Amino acid sequence: MEDQKEKRLADIREKLKGLLVENLSLEDVTPDEIKDDEILFGDGLGLDSLDAVEIVVLLQRNFGLEVKDMEKGREIFYSIDTLARYVYENTKNKS
Amino acid sequence: MNVAGIGVVFTRGRGIDSYEEALRQGWVPPCRVELSSAPDISLPVYYVAQETITDKAVLRRIRRADRFSKMAVLAAWDAVQDSGIVLEEKGSSLGIIVATAFGPHATTFRFLDDILDYGHANVSPTIFSHSVHNAAASYIAYVLGTRGPTLTLSQFAFSFHQAIILAESWLNEGRCDYVLVGGVDECHTVMEYICSQKLAIADDGKIKPFHFSASPSAVPGEGSVFFLATRTNTPKTYCEISGLFLYGDGIEEAPDMYIFDADGMAGDERGYKDAAATSVMIAGYSPVFGSMMTGSAFHCAAGALMLKHQIRYACPVQDNSCGVNLCAVTESAEIKKIWCVRINCVHEKASIRLKLE
Repeated sequence: MEDQKEKRLADIREKLKGLLVENLSLEDVTPDEIKDDEILFGDGLGLDSLDAVEIVVLLQRNFGLEVKDMEKGREIFYSIDTLARYVYENTKNKS
Repeated sequence: MNVAGIGVVFTRGRGIDSYEEALRQGWVPPCRVELSSAPDISLPVYYVAQETITDKAVLRRIRRADRFSKMAVLAAWDAVQDSGIVLEEKGSSLGIIVATAFGPHATTFRFLDDILDYGHANVSPTIFSHSVHNAAASYIAYVLGTRGPTLTLSQFAFSFHQAIILAESWLNEGRCDYVLVGGVDECHTVMEYICSQKLAIADDGKIKPFHFSASPSAVPGEGSVFFLATRTNTPKTYCEISGLFLYGDGIEEAPDMYIFDADGMAGDERGYKDAAATSVMIAGYSPVFGSMMTGSAFHCAAGALMLKHQIRYACPVQDNSCGVNLCAVTESAEIKKIWCVRINCVHEKASIRLKLE
């Protein structure tokens, strides 16, 4: 069960990294280069508030998830790892 | 007004030097692309290569910009660099006028596709903001750090001509000391489809500007040209834009050379026949950059180079079935006046008059 969860989380992380690079027009960075625990905004990957809005749209399009509370969004959007856990927790009953 | 600097982004590279090299070199075959809607059909297209619009120094703060905006920004940036003029940071002395026939249509259609695919609530806000026609002009202002008037003129025919008229009036009014005025258009799957359905395509990849045919052949192109215009004389001044006549000839005065914008993009080109009934030498360089409704900007750049360097470039495709006085050889020449002429499918004429400054 735990193995399945870890595998699913790994798949989500990989997908999220690809989506970010492609949809946020990130230059000089490949999906493989984004660390799971790297801070996405500010000093980390360097994303900004416009990117946050794009991520909201990406989550809706690709996982059917709505992030309406931006305070909650701050925690969710902290890193690829936190994003992946949010996606996992909110989609595990759908699949 | 004087042309103090020129920036060019086109199929064979970037910069006025690359453009001049291409004019000297002549015709090269376009690439061929398969239509996404009909993979069995291939189309000759003069594309701008991705590496041409990759400049991490200039574009570092505009990673989200689309191809359309990047082409415009780089040509505008290069025009300023070419002039050697240092613009005032956050100053309002520079105006920006972008002329386009179709705007950022690739992004516009991507936005529309997203509405169909994901619903109106789930379209990318970034794609929406880039689909508006003034995005490129705003990016130019942002990258150059200027705060003067910024405008985009979207018009199928004569958009570049209208932009020149406006630039001149801004300078005359004293609204600006400099105006970056230019044209930009892109080619994308939508444009490829439209061209394949609505235009005769030159299957051999050669635009023939002197056929003056009712259904001329086109080779779709893309790119951007910008001019830094000013009323004052500068060390780098190429030429003077001494007049522009829209929907008519203005005062008749023979130039030393005509450049015809005929490129197959606007349909019926029989209107050029009357204009070609002259002993004045005629040239057309659309086979260098492709068929574009804003091709007049590229021709003005060619004219400016010829006046500055006192040279005329051989026509890249010299099919002369109408027997015009064609510019057939690249050679030194004494040239003081060049009229760049565009005639649309209903035979309305516009000419931009370039004079040795």
